[in-house]
Amino acid sequence: MADSPTTTARPIASIRARTLQLTPPRWVAFCRGAAPIVIGVALAVLLQFYANRWFGGYREKILIDIGINIILAVSLNIVNGYTGQFSIGHAGFMAVGAYTAGFIMYYGSFWLFGDTQFHGGILSATTDPRGLHGPGFSGGDLLFPAALIAGGLVAALFGFIVGLPSLRLRGDYLAIVTLGFGEIVRVVIETTGTVLAGDEIGGQPWYRLLNRVGGPMGFGGLPIYASSFWVWVCVAATVLAAYRIKASTMGRAFLAVRENEIAAASLGVPITRYKVRAFVIAAFFAGVAGGLFAHEIGNMLNAGELGFLKSFDIIIMVVLGGMGSISGAVVAAIVLTILPEALRSVSEFRMIAYALLLIVMMIARPQGLLGIHEMWDLPYFRRRRTGGKTA
Amino acid sequence: MSTLLDISGVSLSFGGVKAVSDFALKLNPGNLQGLIGPNGAGKTTVFNLITGVYRPDAGAIALDGRPLIGLPPHRIAQAGVARTFQNIRLFGNLSVLDNVRVACHLRAHHSITGALLRTARHLGGELAIERHAHELLDIFNLGFRADELACNLPYGDQRRLEIARALATDPKVLLLDEPAAGMNTQEKRRLAELIHFIRDSFRLTILLIDHDVGLIMGICDTITVLDHGQTIAVGPACDVQKDPKVIEAYLGEPADGAVR
Repeated sequence: MADSPTTTARPIASIRARTLQLTPPRWVAFCRGAAPIVIGVALAVLLQFYANRWFGGYREKILIDIGINIILAVSLNIVNGYTGQFSIGHAGFMAVGAYTAGFIMYYGSFWLFGDTQFHGGILSATTDPRGLHGPGFSGGDLLFPAALIAGGLVAALFGFIVGLPSLRLRGDYLAIVTLGFGEIVRVVIETTGTVLAGDEIGGQPWYRLLNRVGGPMGFGGLPIYASSFWVWVCVAATVLAAYRIKASTMGRAFLAVRENEIAAASLGVPITRYKVRAFVIAAFFAGVAGGLFAHEIGNMLNAGELGFLKSFDIIIMVVLGGMGSISGAVVAAIVLTILPEALRSVSEFRMIAYALLLIVMMIARPQGLLGIHEMWDLPYFRRRRTGGKTA
Repeated sequence: MSTLLDISGVSLSFGGVKAVSDFALKLNPGNLQGLIGPNGAGKTTVFNLITGVYRPDAGAIALDGRPLIGLPPHRIAQAGVARTFQNIRLFGNLSVLDNVRVACHLRAHHSITGALLRTARHLGGELAIERHAHELLDIFNLGFRADELACNLPYGDQRRLEIARALATDPKVLLLDEPAAGMNTQEKRRLAELIHFIRDSFRLTILLIDHDVGLIMGICDTITVLDHGQTIAVGPACDVQKDPKVIEAYLGEPADGAVR
């Protein structure tokens, strides 16, 4: 069959040629792409108006904690799970996002509204939104998402900076760099001066205020904006983004880097760029989670709380759920948020229990409960879908 | 015909060991060249040099006139060099289909915003990749295993999956590192047919390493023989087979030399 004309044509068409042919109409793609976003926002609206009525204030707060932890676990999963790098500085990115958002909300509120109190509308109202704190859809409802995104972007910038050493480091060495980063963030924040009260701010240029974020005393007096709505919109966005990344060409490249760097490179995957990308994306969402955490009811933003132990909490969620599994990370985040609340009387032993859990997991099931797979990939669900036939 | 892959005067040493010295090779489009030699002769090192895993101490490597030396491995893959590995390097925890889809990454349009927003173009690209991967698997008779994890495949299938994955990058030159290792005679014969088929239908240029001299002699146009990093013979199979130096490298020195 050396050079006969029948075999000289390529047996399959090129991908590029086919892409055009298989591209669905724009409106179809738009509907399919927007549907989960609409559902996510609708759920968030539902929780915003009914969570308090259904569950009461305490459980609504737990629900918000769960949401923030889901964002943290799912985002860390992009680095530790998909790409297989071991980062133990996730709380550092969270702190960067928290202080950026807090700075914008506190001093921005003063600059825009004249004082540092809550100026949001129905979307940001945190207790029962029927008793409004401000007029509906007022300025704070726009300022808060802007602050969250700004916090995410600054954290992403730091993610880029920390991601760069991963050009050269792997395994334990990278873990030490990320640990060091988290500690540096904490220590730097703790050297800042006290927060200025409303009447002390007047007329100071903004950059002089950068040094006024509370230091070791914590960033007190932040307005409470992290309502069920914003938290669960962010959860929906994070989970959706993580899922779409995992299911895309880019996500498969992340997984390839984790599975075998040499083979991935030999197939044209620029491994360094993908590692840095993973850090940037994960840091962005950690920054957003930090922004939410800073403005949550009952929280006092304090860098000391966002140290190594917080990073460890998040790692436990990822490891327990499964390195690379989004649904695993979500379930683990829910369980590990509720458990310490339910077992509050013995919560001092949490870290001991976590350490033991980690050791047991590493021996019995190092890839986590679900491993790389999603819940709907489990044999039980698979069988249901295929109607009893085993694949 | 112009030379597609041009390697000249390439040397590499690890400390005091000369792994490859003054290696030269010219591949014309459509060639199927064999590279043989005893264990430790430097065959895989040559592959690692071509694909950018190692950087040679001296010499030049060019693909279509474009120098490859100094480029990182992923750039060399983009330029059109694909390879398989002697010790199989599949993505074990990914499905067979995903293994091939990863490799399609090079030839498809993709962007992060497209993936996040699921644009029409992104959907089209993903569909195209999926079909492409399925068809490649069918060629290699792996279609029915598309959903299995790569690590669960039998050995021979893993070897073929590696070739399918390398082909998915749409290469000009394919480097096969001992594709027949661990196969029985029948499997080897089928593999030889397969290699011929993909060479012709994908219009590939193939450089093949193997220990199985029979296989190499059977399918390769020309053969290069390496021993201790030195090229000891080049030429068509029938000539190389009779070359005394080759016989010596494989079987030891002739009897009268051994007595001494």
